[in-house]
Amino acid sequence: MSEPIINDTGAVTPRDAFLRGVRELMPAWPGIFAWGLVTGIAMVKSGLSVTEATVLSLLAYAGSAQLAALPLMAAFAPIWLVTLTAVTVNLRFVVYSVLTRRHFAHLSGQRRLWLGYLVGDIMFARFTAMIEREPDYPHRVHYYFGGAIANWVLWQISSIIGIFAATTIPTSWGLELAGTLTLVALLVPLCANRPVLAGVMVASVVSVLAHDVPMRLGLLLAIAFGVGTAFAVERAGRAP
Amino acid sequence: MTEPYVWWAILGITLATFLSRCSLHLLGNRLQVPHTLESALRYAPACALAAILVPDLVFNEGQLDLSFDNPRWVAGIVSAAIFAANRSMIASISGGMAVFWLLRVW
Repeated sequence: MSEPIINDTGAVTPRDAFLRGVRELMPAWPGIFAWGLVTGIAMVKSGLSVTEATVLSLLAYAGSAQLAALPLMAAFAPIWLVTLTAVTVNLRFVVYSVLTRRHFAHLSGQRRLWLGYLVGDIMFARFTAMIEREPDYPHRVHYYFGGAIANWVLWQISSIIGIFAATTIPTSWGLELAGTLTLVALLVPLCANRPVLAGVMVASVVSVLAHDVPMRLGLLLAIAFGVGTAFAVERAGRAP
Repeated sequence: MTEPYVWWAILGITLATFLSRCSLHLLGNRLQVPHTLESALRYAPACALAAILVPDLVFNEGQLDLSFDNPRWVAGIVSAAIFAANRSMIASISGGMAVFWLLRVW
C-alpha cells in the first residue's frame, strides 16, 4: 500500500487528487484483473453469448451480482428472482452510501448517478481509509473518481478478455481466488480494534452457517449480526 | 438460453444494481439516519468483506474444511499473514496464489 502523499508546500489540485486515487487503487490490480477475467469466463460458460456477456458487464458492472445471477439464469429462474437476488447482493452498497453520502451530497444529480454506477468494494474501502487518515483532504471527490474509473477500466478490459478467452482458459486454474485474496488484503487493516474483530468473526460464522439461504440473503444476515456484535462490544468497552 | 429471457434478466440485474447503489446518493441529505445507526454501520464494510470472502475460502468441494487439505483456506491464511507483515497487496495476493497452486500440485 502506498503511503499518503502529504504536500505541505503546494496546494493539492483536483488533478493531483484524481491521480492519487488512480495510484492508490493500483496495488489491487492483480486481484481486480483476475476477478474480471473469471467473471467474463463464468458468464460465457453459463451459456451467455459474447454479446450478451459484454452488454451485461458494461451495463451492470457488478461482479458479485453477475456471478450470483448466473446459476439462476442457467436454470431459467423467474426474472423477479434473478432481479431480487441482484438486489440482495448489492444491498451492502446502500450501507456504504449511508457512510459516504455526505462527501458527495453537493454533487449534481447526474454526477451522483455516475458515482452509484462506479462504486465498488475496493475503492470504497480505500476511500473510507483515506478519509479516516486525512479528514481534511481536499478534492476527495476527484480522489474517489480517479480510483473508481481506474477500477472500471481494469475490470472491463479483464472481463472482456475473459469473455473472448472463455473457451481457452481452464476453470481449474482457480484464478477467482485472486479476487478473494484482494478482499483479504482489504479486510486485514480494518481489523484494528476489538469491536471490528468481534464483528468480523461473527459475520464470518453467520456467512458460513447461512451459506445455503436463497437469494444470497445470508450475506445480509451476516452483516446484520456482525454489525450488531461490533456495536455491542464497542458499547461494553465504553461502559464504566 | 433463449434470447428474450436473457435480455430481460440483464435488464433486471442492471436496474437492481443501479438502483441499490444510487438510491441513497440521489436522496442526498434528505434522508436522516439516526446517529446511533450510522455509528453502528461503521462496522458494516469490514463485516461485509468477511461475509463475502470467508465462504469462498472455507468450503472445499461443498464441504466446510478448515484443515490443511483445503488449499483455498491455507492460501487465505498465508495471504492475510503476508499482508499483516508487510502491508503489500501485491505480495499478499501473489504469495497466496503461489501457496494455492503449490498445494494443489502436491
